[in-house]
Amino acid sequence: MGADGGKIDLKLGFLTTIECPDGSLIGGLLVTNHFGRPLEFQCTTPVKPNRTQEVLYGPTLVPFLLGEVIGQTLVEKMNIKPHLVLVEQEQAMELQNHISIPVAILTDVEQIIEENAAYISEQIGRNRLRFDAAHQTGKTAIENTSRNIPADADLGEPFERVREALNEAVKMGSSR
Amino acid sequence: MEFSEPDIQNHQSTETTAGHTGGPHFIQRPAEPVQTAITDADRWQLKQQIDSETIPLAVSAAVFASGMNGALTRKFNLETTALALLEKAGLQPKWKPTRPRVKTFGMTFPDGLEFMPPKQEKESGAELSRIEGPKTTSSEPGERKKSTRLKPPANALSLEDRLFYLLQPPLQSWLAGQELIMPFEPFPYQYEGIAWLFSQKSALLADEMGLGKTMQTITGVRLLLRSGQVRRILLVCPKPLIPNWQREFKFWAEELPVTVVQGDTARRRMIWEMPNTPILIANYESMSRDFETMGEENLPRFDLVVLDEAQRIKNRDSRTAEVARSIPRKRSWALTGTPIENRHEEMASLFEWMEIIPPRGTPDLRQLQVLSKEFILRRTKDLVMTDLPPRLDRPAYLDLNPAQQHAYDTAEKDGVIQLNEMGDSITVQHVFELVLRLKQITNFDPVTGDSCKLDRLEADMEEIAASGGKAILFSQWTKPLDFMAKRLERFGTLVYHGGIPTKQREPILDQFKHDPDSHLLLMSYGTGAVGLNLQFAGYVFLFDRWWNPAIEDQAINRAHRIGQKTQVIVTKFVCNNTIEERIDMVLEQKRELFRSILGDGDTTCESRSLTASEIFGLFDLKQKKGDVTKKIAPQVPGKSAA
Repeated sequence: MGADGGKIDLKLGFLTTIECPDGSLIGGLLVTNHFGRPLEFQCTTPVKPNRTQEVLYGPTLVPFLLGEVIGQTLVEKMNIKPHLVLVEQEQAMELQNHISIPVAILTDVEQIIEENAAYISEQIGRNRLRFDAAHQTGKTAIENTSRNIPADADLGEPFERVREALNEAVKMGSSR
Repeated sequence: MEFSEPDIQNHQSTETTAGHTGGPHFIQRPAEPVQTAITDADRWQLKQQIDSETIPLAVSAAVFASGMNGALTRKFNLETTALALLEKAGLQPKWKPTRPRVKTFGMTFPDGLEFMPPKQEKESGAELSRIEGPKTTSSEPGERKKSTRLKPPANALSLEDRLFYLLQPPLQSWLAGQELIMPFEPFPYQYEGIAWLFSQKSALLADEMGLGKTMQTITGVRLLLRSGQVRRILLVCPKPLIPNWQREFKFWAEELPVTVVQGDTARRRMIWEMPNTPILIANYESMSRDFETMGEENLPRFDLVVLDEAQRIKNRDSRTAEVARSIPRKRSWALTGTPIENRHEEMASLFEWMEIIPPRGTPDLRQLQVLSKEFILRRTKDLVMTDLPPRLDRPAYLDLNPAQQHAYDTAEKDGVIQLNEMGDSITVQHVFELVLRLKQITNFDPVTGDSCKLDRLEADMEEIAASGGKAILFSQWTKPLDFMAKRLERFGTLVYHGGIPTKQREPILDQFKHDPDSHLLLMSYGTGAVGLNLQFAGYVFLFDRWWNPAIEDQAINRAHRIGQKTQVIVTKFVCNNTIEERIDMVLEQKRELFRSILGDGDTTCESRSLTASEIFGLFDLKQKKGDVTKKIAPQVPGKSAA
């Protein structure tokens, strides 16, 4: 079995952010193997945009923060690079424009409509993933390797862990 | 703003060449824009129209002779230079869209280390990394399982330590047929126990007997090993329990190599010092003897020491307790079904071993209570059984139909004669064959297909179907299932066994669950006993008996499991005066025996299966040699063949 180990290892990154009471954002990225076992975790210190950024970025501020400031930093920081970064916030899809690793968002089956159906992967675990329209290579690559993910795996679950860890980090940070 | 440089130069040069007329010393301004607006022709025309006369308005001014006038009339010395009027707008680069530097905090898990560039190879990784492909569970796709999350221990202070626990996946997904193959799914309280042990450095697991301390411990050990948190484990137990632990390890974690410390002194010493032995099992006596002779400096080090039946060290002055305390270790787990309540001292001794009170510390009752809350986990059956509705076992003792009786008697007589004739060449296999033949006859008469069990089943099913209930039936054989299915067709009977192609199995279970007209599902022990959730069925029939009560229990647990809302009625068919009665008796005796001797953790499979001597004992086998008749059976010490 050990021999197969190298072939089938599919590393998934789970990126999410939480908002602190003061409005700043903390991002965390958890890289797991295809069974959801943690391999590496990185989180940021709180990120708070200044007034200039707020004014100048306007509606693009959040994608900028989630994708470029937080997401890209974390992915670059990772010693163990994931094969796929999963996000749960639509605005974090911006990350795809800054890294070469495929980025996908968890999507519910109900959301599949004609126009985006092409970008949505087949069932992976219990979920479906939507890839950026301009980055469809990731979709094919993942569909080929995702059979290693157990069919009853819930890809939404690791996000809960990340959020919990981030909350813990906030708590520990504020108690210091 | 349309000026261009040549234009400007032209104006200047006309000024310089115009010369000075001596009139008022004003430089004549170029008035082209005005001129172009109102020309002389326009003025003349206007004059014509309004018939007006031009009166010079200008008053001529004479120059006052001040003596300076000569200088004033001198020509200006003018030079021309080209001046660029337009520059690019200057920008002050105060703000650039830069990516703010964000500080990060990170940690790598033991599992992740292997993906990091050069690292040492994982110790005995081959045995530990058994990975099975993805499995589809029969649970509904949308249904979210209850998850048991690991919680950071109260004494984990650093963020890194706390995150380590928080970021672990829920235990259920960790165990669900992925890397760790469990023979059976643990109960919720067992999951909790495992999670608790996993995160505890010092733990006393004091569950009531029979709740599976052994299984929880083994799984806890397995998780710790797998997550790379421990590499070397010592389990100390009373000598008679060593085989039990070996068996349980094999059953619950077959991939873990277990080494028993036994043999003469030299051999034991070698085992103690052997590297790469993840799990050592020793008994209390050899542990104290060996460690005393080794001396404290030479003691082997362990990441985890587990003391089974930990009341053995309740006397803190005993040699065993002293030696146990001296073992260098990182984690200390104690197991006992009878936590000590009579004297504080005894509990204090355990706590001292667990290193949660200082040496010779004497906590009072209140302190003990506080410590107990954190370091002792005890559940009673009453407590955990609330998880499940009651299970009612209803053995049905039936008389064989005449045709069956006849077939049975003949087969038994012939069989025993045949076996007796074989004399010494007789093997368990031969007896087994006879047992199987007889069991088959108790199910159905081979000629007529008569069956007292089927008659009874039909009667019961009428009632169950009328009340809209659902039942599952288990048998050892698959062919009779198909046969029965025909006769029981009117109950919407479905068949699920190893002969059914895998692809068709899910739809069968689906239909059984959702079709209100489908009341009976026939299954084989082999295929149906493990891993299915049929908690919507309120009735279980055991058409024939399996050799091993644990497998029967697992079969029953398909229906009698979490999620079951009503009681489960289990009907076990036993034919009077047949081999089934005898098997039933032996199994029951075994259950009792193990319950009284081993107490807890007796969920093992093999221990309760029939041994060779018991199989032989099902028949009165005798060998005739000349005039002497002697009983024949494999020699098993301490067991009578009767």
